[in-house]
Amino acid sequence: MNSSQEHSAFYEHFDRHAHGKGLKGASTHYCPGCGHGLAHKFLSDAIATLGIQDRTVAVSPVGCSVFLYYYFDVGNTQAAHGRAPAVALGHKLANPDSIVVSYQGDGDLASIGLAEIMHAAQLGVPITVIFVNNAIYGMTGGQMAPTTLPGQWSTTCPNGRGVMEGAPLKVAELIAGLDGPIYVERVALFDQRRRKQAHKAIEKAMRLQVEGRGFAFVEVLSECPTHLKMTPEDAELWVKDTMTQTFPLGVLKDVEREPWFEGPRPKFDAPQMMKLVGAVSVDDPMPRFGGEFPVHLDPEDVSLKLAGAGGDGAQTAAMLITRAAIREGHDATHIPSYGPESRGGTSYADVHVARTEVLSPGAPTPHVLVAFNAPSLTKFGPTVRKGGVIIYDSSVINDVPPVREGVRAFGVPCAAIARELGVPLVKNVVALGAVCAASRLLPDEAVLTALRHALKDKCALIASNEAAFAAGRAAVEAAG
Amino acid sequence: MTTVKERTKPVLLPELCKGCGRCIEACPKHCITLGEEINQTSGLVPVVIDYDVCNGCGLCISACPEPYGLTADGYELEDPAKLFGAAPHHGRTPAAIPGRAIPLPKSEPLVLKGNYAAAVGALLAGCRHVFGYPITPSTEGAELMASFLPQLDGAFVQAVSEVATVNHMYGCGGAGLPVMTFTSSPGLSLMLEGISYMIGAEVPAVFINVMRGGPGLGNIGPSQADIKLLCRGLGHGDTNAIVLAPSTPQEMLDLTIEAFRLAFLYRNPVFVAPDGYLGQMTGRVQLPDHMLVPGIPGWAVYGDAAHRGNLINSIHLSEADLEKHNEKLQAKLARITANEQRSHTHRADDAKILVVAASTPARMAKSAIEHLRQEGVSVGLFMPVTLWPFPIDALRPLMAHVEDILVVEASAGQLEDELRLAMSHADLGGARIHHLRRMGGMLPQEPEIRARVHEILEVTR
Ligand code: SF4
Ligand code: SF4
Ligand code: SF4
Repeated sequence: MNSSQEHSAFYEHFDRHAHGKGLKGASTHYCPGCGHGLAHKFLSDAIATLGIQDRTVAVSPVGCSVFLYYYFDVGNTQAAHGRAPAVALGHKLANPDSIVVSYQGDGDLASIGLAEIMHAAQLGVPITVIFVNNAIYGMTGGQMAPTTLPGQWSTTCPNGRGVMEGAPLKVAELIAGLDGPIYVERVALFDQRRRKQAHKAIEKAMRLQVEGRGFAFVEVLSECPTHLKMTPEDAELWVKDTMTQTFPLGVLKDVEREPWFEGPRPKFDAPQMMKLVGAVSVDDPMPRFGGEFPVHLDPEDVSLKLAGAGGDGAQTAAMLITRAAIREGHDATHIPSYGPESRGGTSYADVHVARTEVLSPGAPTPHVLVAFNAPSLTKFGPTVRKGGVIIYDSSVINDVPPVREGVRAFGVPCAAIARELGVPLVKNVVALGAVCAASRLLPDEAVLTALRHALKDKCALIASNEAAFAAGRAAVEAAG
Repeated sequence: MTTVKERTKPVLLPELCKGCGRCIEACPKHCITLGEEINQTSGLVPVVIDYDVCNGCGLCISACPEPYGLTADGYELEDPAKLFGAAPHHGRTPAAIPGRAIPLPKSEPLVLKGNYAAAVGALLAGCRHVFGYPITPSTEGAELMASFLPQLDGAFVQAVSEVATVNHMYGCGGAGLPVMTFTSSPGLSLMLEGISYMIGAEVPAVFINVMRGGPGLGNIGPSQADIKLLCRGLGHGDTNAIVLAPSTPQEMLDLTIEAFRLAFLYRNPVFVAPDGYLGQMTGRVQLPDHMLVPGIPGWAVYGDAAHRGNLINSIHLSEADLEKHNEKLQAKLARITANEQRSHTHRADDAKILVVAASTPARMAKSAIEHLRQEGVSVGLFMPVTLWPFPIDALRPLMAHVEDILVVEASAGQLEDELRLAMSHADLGGARIHHLRRMGGMLPQEPEIRARVHEILEVTR
């Protein structure tokens, strides 16, 4: 150990670099004169200065700096091309005390990874992004980058970047235009003054994270002598004289923000979990009402279909039946029609109540049909089994199509009754009362208990719901 | 009197100097020049410093891109054997922080939709980090997490895409925490790249892929047409992962908890693959008798002192290294194949006709089999719970009496392909294989299954 390492986050020996043999144990894999090494040194210095080496996680990209993890004696994750900011966010939320750096090149960040960087920046969670822009693809061998300058040669714009190849993407400006980030600066490496500034900017971008203030972004204009086909010195001059014309240096955004980030720090508490998922301890059981399995409908498995328009409450009624049946010790399932077709106005629910186990959860030939509108009755009326029951809302259905022999149909003015009660929404509960009366599927109290449980946070509604249920039952009984 | 601090002159290690010359223009005293001699160790031409002129200002050091090329005090000059000899180990042993279980009181059964049951399962397995992109018919899982996780001081992030989702998971799983997502078929397609990285880098994660009709945008009806992707196509490279096929809301919960255990046991993603019906179906769900508090494994890149120096990575530059890594992964997959096959059977012990089906089609088949048995037909059900590894060990003994196999599925033969491949590898032949397939968001229905069995009986009679 010597003083270089005391003030550095670099490994003393680069073991991971081709197993650390020979030169590879001590020098980088970068070409002579490449700017990456300097950006690495400034980052290493910042980590050492801030005393965060144990907490730092460096996310390396795909590109020339894919081997960042050879050098940094911190936690390291190598990410897929362009995804480093998304990976960094995963790390930061996993451990809010970690200091996470996403180190990316121009192809990685500005081309394939645009969506990820924009989202991470806009989210504003404190991570630090170091964006090394050298206006060309290095690793793959000199292809056009999103930041390649107009007229600049590359292997995929051999005549120079022209109009058909688009204009260079000014990423720092783009990021600075978002509300999420608090600090965005573009720096360069071509002379001592700029290097000092780059050093300072990287340290600041890390410090803002350490202090929990926000998302910080440093764009580093860097030299790729190899693919610019220049000497390192000429490459420095090119960045200075040409590249900065398109990518002006300076601070693009620097807003004061008080430390705010605390991050998720999960709790693991059994009573809280039980409460959250609505679990009731068996020491405090819900009452049962001794409902036998309704063998008069089917020896093993009774199926119901509740159908109407969205807003008719078919799904809620189906859920209440399912809950009540399970409380009574039967097996039960509910499956809704779901997705766009259910947005279009129709809403069907298939329910099964089985003595031991529901097998086929669909209800193509139900024992009980509840139809809240005419199309539903027309469509499903003929599918009801012999010995089955149909409840239809006679306040909206005028013409009742003929039903199969042995099927009993009850017209119950669900909507009208609900309106009279002053709560139009409870028409599905009217239907539930009618189902219980006509089919004897479940004891009234079982359904009412499930109903009261569902309304435990809206107690004011319990009375009208109970009245609706009773009115539904009464309507069927009156019909005989 | 002011004292002038003595400045040490820079030390140039010629072996580590790449001769780039960036230090030359940095030096105000013009005392660095391009060299002329090739360094025999590096094969490059290092610069030369004229120490007589040098005033130790250090500007050249800050211009040098090499960490140890040009330093204030030299790098390991005293011990070239160490520098160029065998690589020393950095000597830290990462510490694992163990997880623990918290007992839960015995509770009344819950009535939960499948997607919710899987979400509750994940919470009970200790997962507090969920990333996702909304997609029907899996969205309720994300919605429940978005509502519950803030109350548990966890994190739900709605990602910009499934591509971002899988990479958030890669970071969080790489940090050693249980992480999961809910998705559906088109979303899975987008996640495949990241899944390949996870398998390569051995990152655990749980995916609930509620399958819907394809190809393309298809529809949101129930389907099993991702079996091929899940069992054979998890991104590029030689990849596999455990694929669990639940058939009830209860199994949505149980298998999700199990998925987390398996993901960490094997350091590999695990997939729970219900058809869309199971995501949407509500039913009875009994909670387990405990919940889990996750620890942090020794290998994790957690971002603390105990885990510094760890690496999550899937790049292995040398072919030999990458082959070795693949051999290690394959050995793990072989262990999984040997130890993790799961299946259910129903009335299969003496069956001449064996229906093979998973998830909702298996429920339909079970119902059909009950009816067929009453008619005196010798038929039973074989229900893979692990679609990968295919539970061939449990199938083998049944083949002593099975003459016909009927594969019932909601895809164009993807489950059948898994079955045939497993039977072929196991040298199991003899039975005729028939199929009943529905596609496009349709499920095989019970009467169809009965009719198909009758057809088989007629042909074989
Ligand atoms: S190709 Fe360019 S960016 Fe890559 S290491 Fe070489 S100089 Fe640096
Ligand atoms: S320390 Fe200063 S004077 Fe000496 S070589 Fe370096 S830049 Fe030149
Ligand atoms: S900057 Fe460093 S690597 Fe480049 S010539 Fe100078 S000492 Fe050598």
